[in-house]
Amino acid sequence: MSEREIAAQTLDVIVRNGFDKAACRVSTDELHELQAETGEINLFRTNFETEIGLVGIDRQRRASMSVNKTDEATIGEAVADLKTMAEGTDPDPAYDISPAQPHESFEGGIAEPDYDAMYDRIVELQRHVAASYPTLHIRSAAVTFARRRSCYLNSNDVGFQSSRGLYQVSVQFSSREGNDNSSMMYTGYSSYDLNTPVHESANVDMLLRQSTEQVKTEHIPGKFVGDLVIAPNCLRDFIGFLTMRIADGAMIAGTSVYKDKLGQQVASPKLTLHSMPLADDIASGYWVTGDGFKAQNSTIVDKGKLETYLLGLYGANKTGLARAVNSGGCYVVEPGAQSYADMIGDVEQGILITRFSGGRPNDRGDFSGVAKNSYYIKDGKLAYPIKETTVSGNMVELLQSIEAVSLERLNFGSAILPWVRVSGITAS
Amino acid sequence: MRIADIDLNRYSNQFSSYTELRLHENRVQSIALVNGDVVANTRDTSSGVSARVFDKGAWGFSSSPDFTNDAIEGAIAAATKNAAFLAGRTGDPKAILPHAMAKRSSDFTTKKPHLTQQEKIAFLKRIDDYVVKNCPDIVSRQVAMSCLDMEKKLRTSEGSDGHNINTRSIIVVRLTTRNDAGQPIELGVPFGSRGQFEDVFVSTEDIEAKVDELYRRLMDKKQAVKPISGYHDVILASDLAGILAHEAIGHTTEGDIVRAGSVAGDYLGKQVASELVTLVDFANTYEGETLPVPVYLDDEGVASQDAVLIEHGILKSFMHNKDSAQFFGMSLTGNARAFSYADEPLVRMRNTAILPGTSKLDEMIGSIDDGYLLMNPTNGQADSTSEFMFGVQMGYEIKNGKLGRAITDTTISGIAFDMLKEVTMLSDEMVWSCSGMCGKKQPMPVGMGGPSVKTRVFIGGE
Repeated sequence: MSEREIAAQTLDVIVRNGFDKAACRVSTDELHELQAETGEINLFRTNFETEIGLVGIDRQRRASMSVNKTDEATIGEAVADLKTMAEGTDPDPAYDISPAQPHESFEGGIAEPDYDAMYDRIVELQRHVAASYPTLHIRSAAVTFARRRSCYLNSNDVGFQSSRGLYQVSVQFSSREGNDNSSMMYTGYSSYDLNTPVHESANVDMLLRQSTEQVKTEHIPGKFVGDLVIAPNCLRDFIGFLTMRIADGAMIAGTSVYKDKLGQQVASPKLTLHSMPLADDIASGYWVTGDGFKAQNSTIVDKGKLETYLLGLYGANKTGLARAVNSGGCYVVEPGAQSYADMIGDVEQGILITRFSGGRPNDRGDFSGVAKNSYYIKDGKLAYPIKETTVSGNMVELLQSIEAVSLERLNFGSAILPWVRVSGITAS
Repeated sequence: MRIADIDLNRYSNQFSSYTELRLHENRVQSIALVNGDVVANTRDTSSGVSARVFDKGAWGFSSSPDFTNDAIEGAIAAATKNAAFLAGRTGDPKAILPHAMAKRSSDFTTKKPHLTQQEKIAFLKRIDDYVVKNCPDIVSRQVAMSCLDMEKKLRTSEGSDGHNINTRSIIVVRLTTRNDAGQPIELGVPFGSRGQFEDVFVSTEDIEAKVDELYRRLMDKKQAVKPISGYHDVILASDLAGILAHEAIGHTTEGDIVRAGSVAGDYLGKQVASELVTLVDFANTYEGETLPVPVYLDDEGVASQDAVLIEHGILKSFMHNKDSAQFFGMSLTGNARAFSYADEPLVRMRNTAILPGTSKLDEMIGSIDDGYLLMNPTNGQADSTSEFMFGVQMGYEIKNGKLGRAITDTTISGIAFDMLKEVTMLSDEMVWSCSGMCGKKQPMPVGMGGPSVKTRVFIGGE
């Protein structure tokens, strides 16, 4: 049976069991992965997965469930459990499903994996590393083809079908010279093709080279307050505080520092942040939100001003605020006017951070963590790779203190991000 | 069809090379209350079959969400084909794996009648009501339950088989107040242990007592001061010792990580810690007590053994799967575990702990003139250089041997093999945590344990 047929049958069972509102999402995933560890391509994985997500609302009592079997008995038992779960909870007027929308189908990416290309790209990366960076050790390199077919139906006559296939590439590595080791580094990206060598994609080669430099590290000269140049690889760690605190969890709990900040300046005018699940160059995008709306691109922060919260239907109903037009993610930061090189050149004293190993920021945004695979910047130059260096500050203030955004951006397939320079960070 | 009803032995004649055949089901129940409202009421079940085949040094893996005969035979055939694809390109005819044959089964499901979702919601609401009545200075409260059952049935071509069901049930209470400046101040604590809800949460009284302690600490935290960044003498409370064992040492001594270049590979047989420190990854039992994540048979069909990693300060061994044990010529430890049916087994920790010493916590605090007591960990990370980091959401100054003001959230870090040499006191208590979820390609429930530890670490901050 197709995803649509399974979803239609399941929705029918939910409705026939007395739910006032019902929704069902059926997804089938196909995954083919080649992975190299310790030098050899030594794992070939093919997985087939199914997930049926069921939502039922009965007199404003809501329950949800997922199973991964499509037979009649499993679905019948799941819906009976769903009924019991809904009857056991409290009613909440905020529970709802998406309203009627035109039925649509979406398709993107590629249909089939090319095993030879997957294999050859890994071997090519290994040869490049052996020739260019003999002290570098690839701990793991994987190329995965993933295809998802999905169908969302609900009892308000909403019907969306989608299918997307793409490659995902991930690399983990570290370097060693004698008894000196670099910190482990990793990166990854998704793409609709494998036309470009791995080391020429998403700045992988720069990270490989930096890793070989990072076997020799030094302490920073002493504690200082200065600039932090955040590499695209870890920018999500720093904008993640904002995107999490404007979403359902913190907004419903009432603990978000961005509560009542809509339309206000929450970041430097240098920052414009979009969520673009429909962008052509975002391979890991989506067409339908988790709660059954056709997704749209949005601007979250426009020149520093908060344009939207990231509330789903429940969060919007619960808070009385507007629902976001997408489910977040797929973040795209607008480029700035300065090159990465000039951005570094303007730093009197600071840190270039490429990986952030940090504790979860508290509700106020206070954070601290170790600057991994990072460099000390002095008088406009990368002075040396650093060790055992902690950076700390406040996420709210950090976004306000953005001084420059680079012209160059990296496309990770799931986000398009530049280098960003902020000030007032304590390094110790 | 239930896993218990499927006989895997009937497929053994289809094994043409070393093969692991696994049926696997994860069942997750989640309920969350935010300020008294039920915001999550969900149950997820995911199950299927996987086969993994070893052929001339290459692994083939395949999985299917179905338990039908065709699906099981198809998984074996696809994994065999995948292994042959790689063996034909990179295969080493001399490649072998260590042999293991064991039969182990365990079942940690409750023997009591299962509670309904309504009864579980009512239980959480009683905790929530307790917070409302007894914690007046709260502006937001969250009470969330997460229960995981992980059922596996395994058959290998070497004759290993077993049917093991691990369970755990966790409730997290998170409270938020506001300080004098109107800023949110939060603190959260997990409660729970191995077992299903019916066995773990018999009454709310135990949790209520812990909520009282949580609230008291949160009120202290309202007036918290920022810690001074730098290296300090600290007491890591027992709930931090477990994450220390896991993040700071455990990851660097996983066989696959050592093989990939972890510094621990250089230190085998050497003094890496104070003589006070003995650190073990326990398979399933400590001093007769079944541990939070008991593993009797790993996903490669190896009978799980305790892995003594550090003994009286000497680095003794590593944790292994078959690949890494073969590479290092060491004994199998049974650490290969997969999170879901669609995952291949990786070297994973089970119940990693620093063994207790003989000191009392009060005398440890009394021995510090200027330092900190740190407790309530959040997240953590490790590195193959043994540099670790983890978040701390509660702590106190120690001044002249006495506890002082509370401190704000911070991060501690250091080089594990340096920091362990600075351990000068261990308390005589042993506290186990069951709520850990380790991330290493796949998530994985882990147990962690230890006493309070006196050492020196770097505290982040301004």
